[in-house]
Amino acid sequence: MYNTAITKMFGIKYPIICGAMMWLCKPNLCAAVSNAGGMGNLTAGNYETADEFRAAIRETRKLTKNPFMVAITLLPSVRITPEHHKMYVKVCAEEKVDGIEFSGTPLDKVAGMEAVEMLKKAGVKMFHKVGALRHAQHAEKIGFDGIYAAGIEEGGHPLSDDVTSMVLTPKIVSSVKIPVVTVGGIADGRTMAAALALGAQGVMMASRFIATKECEVHENIKQELIRRQEFETVIYGKSIGLQGRGLKSKVLEEVLAIEERHGGFEELIPLLSGQKVKAAWETGDVNYAPLMVGQSIGLINDIPTCKELMERMAAQARESLAKASKACNG
Amino acid sequence: MKTRITEMVGIKYPMVLSGMSWISTPKMVAAVSNAGGLGILATGPLSSAQTLEAIREIRKLTDKPFGANATLMFPGAADNAKVLLQEKVPVINFALGKGDWIVKEAHKYGGKVFATVVNVRHAKRAQDYGCDAVIATGQEAAAHGEDVTSLVLVPHLAENLKIPVIAAGGFGDGRGLAAALALGAEGIAMGTRLMATKESPLHDNYKKLTVEKEVYDTLFSKRFDGILCRVMKTDGAERAIKRGLNLPAAFFNSQEIAKQVNIPYFKLFLGVLASGWANAKQLAFMANAFKTFNLATEFGDTKKGVLPVGQVQGLIHDQPTVAELFERMVAEAQKAQAKVNAALS
Repeated sequence: MYNTAITKMFGIKYPIICGAMMWLCKPNLCAAVSNAGGMGNLTAGNYETADEFRAAIRETRKLTKNPFMVAITLLPSVRITPEHHKMYVKVCAEEKVDGIEFSGTPLDKVAGMEAVEMLKKAGVKMFHKVGALRHAQHAEKIGFDGIYAAGIEEGGHPLSDDVTSMVLTPKIVSSVKIPVVTVGGIADGRTMAAALALGAQGVMMASRFIATKECEVHENIKQELIRRQEFETVIYGKSIGLQGRGLKSKVLEEVLAIEERHGGFEELIPLLSGQKVKAAWETGDVNYAPLMVGQSIGLINDIPTCKELMERMAAQARESLAKASKACNG
Repeated sequence: MKTRITEMVGIKYPMVLSGMSWISTPKMVAAVSNAGGLGILATGPLSSAQTLEAIREIRKLTDKPFGANATLMFPGAADNAKVLLQEKVPVINFALGKGDWIVKEAHKYGGKVFATVVNVRHAKRAQDYGCDAVIATGQEAAAHGEDVTSLVLVPHLAENLKIPVIAAGGFGDGRGLAAALALGAEGIAMGTRLMATKESPLHDNYKKLTVEKEVYDTLFSKRFDGILCRVMKTDGAERAIKRGLNLPAAFFNSQEIAKQVNIPYFKLFLGVLASGWANAKQLAFMANAFKTFNLATEFGDTKKGVLPVGQVQGLIHDQPTVAELFERMVAEAQKAQAKVNAALS
């Protein structure tokens, strides 16, 4: 029913891909999205050893026959080292996963061109999440299969170029030959239709998938995403050179106050620790740790199943386009 | 084209020229309206007498509908708005203030009023006191946006309002037009794209820069004029950010503004003081910014001048006429829609 470069590349029903989310993108949610006709996401950072990671890939395969993406963030963190990055790549090649969402440093700079070659040989489709054309062009040059164009509205770590999806998607589409997927600001059929009109071949959503029945997160969090509006996220972390967007909360107010008075990395680290985020998802305490959601939370009004969500998006996208076409031809 | 905005105003294309000081002049307004869009006169730098003169000039140059803006925070804006009402200007677009009295008066002669908003709260209030449409300014827009981007703001407003939404911020070609319509907008407003057209009075130095600069070559800061403002990244803009508010300069520049808008200086000065420190500081900021915006638009000064532009400058590669631009955009939008429709079938 949908026929874009992305649906064709993977043989999926909808050009809707779930973005990486630490602690949430595990086999169950991943399989739910893939079973509903999109592309689920298995976030590698959830696993610290090759065995655990491999087991998660195999578990997901038991839960779905459909393709899914693995996400590997190539940024140094306290817990995940460059050795982990190489391990993830190797396991993905051995397991011949369908595709990988890379973000952060370019793969060739972290693991050399041999990593790129290894994945190509294994038939793994490679996408890099970028916030600028220059990074998209680099990914294309080293042989990647597609680009995730991430606008400043996305949750997580948008590039400090600060370019919005409305401008970034057409910019990259015009200048690379490989397919582009819009990331940031997508939550429904209207935003998906807009992205496709801008030339994207698909969309990626993460925040929207948190508020689904299948997401294993505390109910408070889902309700909070319904309650909160598009202006209730905030950019932080500029002072340490890695900006992030998260839900406005007491902890992020504290982080911003520390940054305002030029407090250092050491002061910030305890507030930003990944373990605290894990606890916040589990206990539903939104003020305990930064929850990395995007502006698209303003468009979240309910908690559907993944299948309901994507069917509705597909129908709404059609409606929006029909209305827009009528306007242009009237 | 046919949308609620084209029907409401009686225009061919739902494309609006943003009211930009020293750029949205009578000739430019007429060029946009004659090409089938809606030109909006910028009254910010004009005295009441000049506003009156400008409206008469527009009417000589076009018999099509047009509009004029009133940036209610500026000194002299209320007086200018009164001139617009008295002259029965078809569309009045106000920003940065409460325009309920404008709505009341405009509706008496069948005029339409558009409120420029950055969030759903302002938009609903504008709807409640009778505005006919809102212009939704996304973060990517030139000058005064807030944090929320067009992709999220436009559908959110469209689903929460009964009056039509005109999307502003990030729009410069047919793909953007198609996207805005898909998000539920009934039209788009463009500043940056239209300032780089043949008819635009923007100084050539800056027209060239608009074509050369990239999507990331803008600065978004409160340090230009006191509220979040997006401008082109130039030496002048970076210097303005470092400098922040310069009160002695504001004293000097505000005297020039008083002369420009023809208000006796002591009246302007006392009025500003009486409005409280926060507002006085804000206006002092704006007085300085006004000067640098003028240096850019009219005089092409890239060292000291500052030009508000949107991120869409990175998608601009040429200087067409307004008519060429509009026709091309509609064709591009139709092409984009055909492609997506094919992908959906």
